[in-house]
Amino acid sequence: MKVTLEAINRMQADGVIGKYAIGGAVGATLYLEPAATLDIDIFVVLPVVPGSSLLTLAPLYDYLKGRGWKVRDEHVVIDDWPVQFLPPSDDLEEEAIAAAVETTVQGVPTWIMSAEHLVAIALRTGRSKDHIRILQFIEQAAVDRRKLDDVLVRNGLVAKWKQFEHKYLEGTRE
Amino acid sequence: MSKQEMRRRLAALGFSDKVKLLEKLRDRSLALAASGLRRRPVKEPQIQTESKAAKD
Repeated sequence: MKVTLEAINRMQADGVIGKYAIGGAVGATLYLEPAATLDIDIFVVLPVVPGSSLLTLAPLYDYLKGRGWKVRDEHVVIDDWPVQFLPPSDDLEEEAIAAAVETTVQGVPTWIMSAEHLVAIALRTGRSKDHIRILQFIEQAAVDRRKLDDVLVRNGLVAKWKQFEHKYLEGTRE
Repeated sequence: MSKQEMRRRLAALGFSDKVKLLEKLRDRSLALAASGLRRRPVKEPQIQTESKAAKD
């Protein structure tokens, strides 16, 4: 993954992308035990092209293809890792990128979403595997409940969280 | 060691070490997928056969 992250950091330094944050299963790995995943989800802020209100991933794909990386479906395969670049689709994802935590992988600096934002996005996405991941965060006390509450309130997810609590956590609290 | 303790220990590893494990897990998943051990269930064409039979 070192080469993958170096390529992404270079792309950022070259102005092709703005700030980024790793989410999904790879992001969750900063806080939890590793879980099998086949790709890396990278949420990216795209620079605004002067004279255009459209955000497009085309310059990003062109940049990476120009450096020999292959595009496969919605992924760019960078050094064995299929990477999916995702522009933020709402305030929650924008906030998650802005609040990303800096860390290093094998000496390469990178940014990972906070545990609270990973949980909030998993809650909003709501697949079974997302619910399992949220439970892992809770079980391993890897999430700050006050910070999580703030994120949930700001992003209109309180009702959904209450449903989740009712379904999975009721009776587990002391 | 209990499963919970093992999970706690894995979670406490440094991120670089966890990434190495992620890569091993990914390679294992890809190897399994390539080996053909995971097969898609074959759907029985019963309904189609029946409806065809009903037409005949």
